[in-house]
Amino acid sequence: MSDYNSPPPGQLPGYTPNPTPAQVPPPIIPGPTPRPVPDASLGSRPEDRAPILGWAGIIDALLREPRRVHYQLRQANAGRLIAALVFIAAACALVYGLVVGTFSGGTQLWAAPLKVAAGLLISGAICLPSLYIFSCLSGSSGRLVEVGGLTAGLLALLTLLLGGFAPVAWVFSQSTQSVAAMGALHLAFWAVAAGFGLRFLRAGFLRTNARSTAGLNVWIVVFLLVSLQMTTALRPILGTADTLLPKSSEKQFFLSHWWQCLDASNHN
Amino acid sequence: MKPAAPTFDPGQVSALLRGEPGLLQDWIRHWSAGRMFLYGAYILLGAGTFGAAIGAWRGPEQAVYTALKFPLVILLTSLGNALLNGMLAPLLGLNLGFRQSLLVIFMSFTIAAAILGSFSPLLLFIVWNTPPPNLSAHSVSLGYDFMQLATVGFIAFAGVVANVRLVPLLQTLGGSRAIAYKVLLAWLAGNLFLGSQISWILRPFIGNPRTPIEFLSQHPWEGSFYESVFHALQHLLTQP
Repeated sequence: MSDYNSPPPGQLPGYTPNPTPAQVPPPIIPGPTPRPVPDASLGSRPEDRAPILGWAGIIDALLREPRRVHYQLRQANAGRLIAALVFIAAACALVYGLVVGTFSGGTQLWAAPLKVAAGLLISGAICLPSLYIFSCLSGSSGRLVEVGGLTAGLLALLTLLLGGFAPVAWVFSQSTQSVAAMGALHLAFWAVAAGFGLRFLRAGFLRTNARSTAGLNVWIVVFLLVSLQMTTALRPILGTADTLLPKSSEKQFFLSHWWQCLDASNHN
Repeated sequence: MKPAAPTFDPGQVSALLRGEPGLLQDWIRHWSAGRMFLYGAYILLGAGTFGAAIGAWRGPEQAVYTALKFPLVILLTSLGNALLNGMLAPLLGLNLGFRQSLLVIFMSFTIAAAILGSFSPLLLFIVWNTPPPNLSAHSVSLGYDFMQLATVGFIAFAGVVANVRLVPLLQTLGGSRAIAYKVLLAWLAGNLFLGSQISWILRPFIGNPRTPIEFLSQHPWEGSFYESVFHALQHLLTQP
């Protein structure tokens, strides 16, 4: 009998050993689906480079794929996209302003939309130079055009979301007589919208190779303060007054103005 | 051989703001009058715009005066301390020549001027929201105090950032963080000391509502800058 035909010592003839654990593929445990690497460089994915076409495309990209907007803002021909973002911001602000104006009616039907749109755009313009300087100080490689585009994107997203809140705001504006309550509601909507807008801006800022976000955080505080003060500087936006804009003697810090509104509301 | 960076390229200020030590070191090695001129132009533009915003609260005439005087404070401080700063650097372990020290200080002031220039729309917004000087005494006083504090706050922020931005460069040049901080603090102390006095002499910048608009005050050598800020703070905090 040949040694080749005999089983190894200690093993019965006809026995087939179980495969070793290494040979058995491990059971598939359902886990979280792999997500794209968040810090992959901008433009490294083909979907980043997909052109953004038409108004619907811009709005869709702002809401669903901000990376595409960030990528396009970095390109040489970003001017048209930026102009479109500014137009979207102005148009949506006018629509939301109209809803704000329906609370008081009359003059406010045209004054409130103009004030809301102008206030937001002026706030962005006032804060843009400091954002660019802060981005440079943070080591960012973003050009002024790109930083301007990020600001336009912030305003566009903010006003788009305000547009989404507009029907809700209109329902409440027809139901209540309280300026303070409506003011608080608009402020809450603005805060939510600004949060998402600033998230878009922050993501774009980080993609310009900024080493630190300290400057951006300071700028965000400045932008929020300017925007809030704008509501007081351009008052009345919600209620009514004798004049379209406050007189020189009525200039106030926004917190003291809000306090006075709350006080008046309590007395009524 | 690496070509020298163009000396009069306005875009180089963004690289200056980013504080890239390698590039800045190269610029310091290749000293040029064109670069100094560029920084001077940025200081005139940035600080001038900020000065105009400060003076706008009092009126257009004051805006023009302050737009002229504010950059003058920076330039006079840099030039007045140039000799001292040029001597302090090697004494504290940083082997820089006189012209190189002056260039580094000009770089710092250019950063400060760029920051101030970018803040000028914000300051104009504050001016727009502050009671004007032609109102009742109480409102005017509060407005004046607020403008003083806002201006000092903006300048302090720009000054701190501009100096902190120099630390990596000084560290690269001096080879040690300790040397960088020593030199920076020495320059900062000297510039603050002279700069505050020059600004006091060249007052008014905001323009006191109780006095007529003028390029220089009638008694430029009376009082001091720090006394004025202290009194403004005291007045603002103790108002009922």
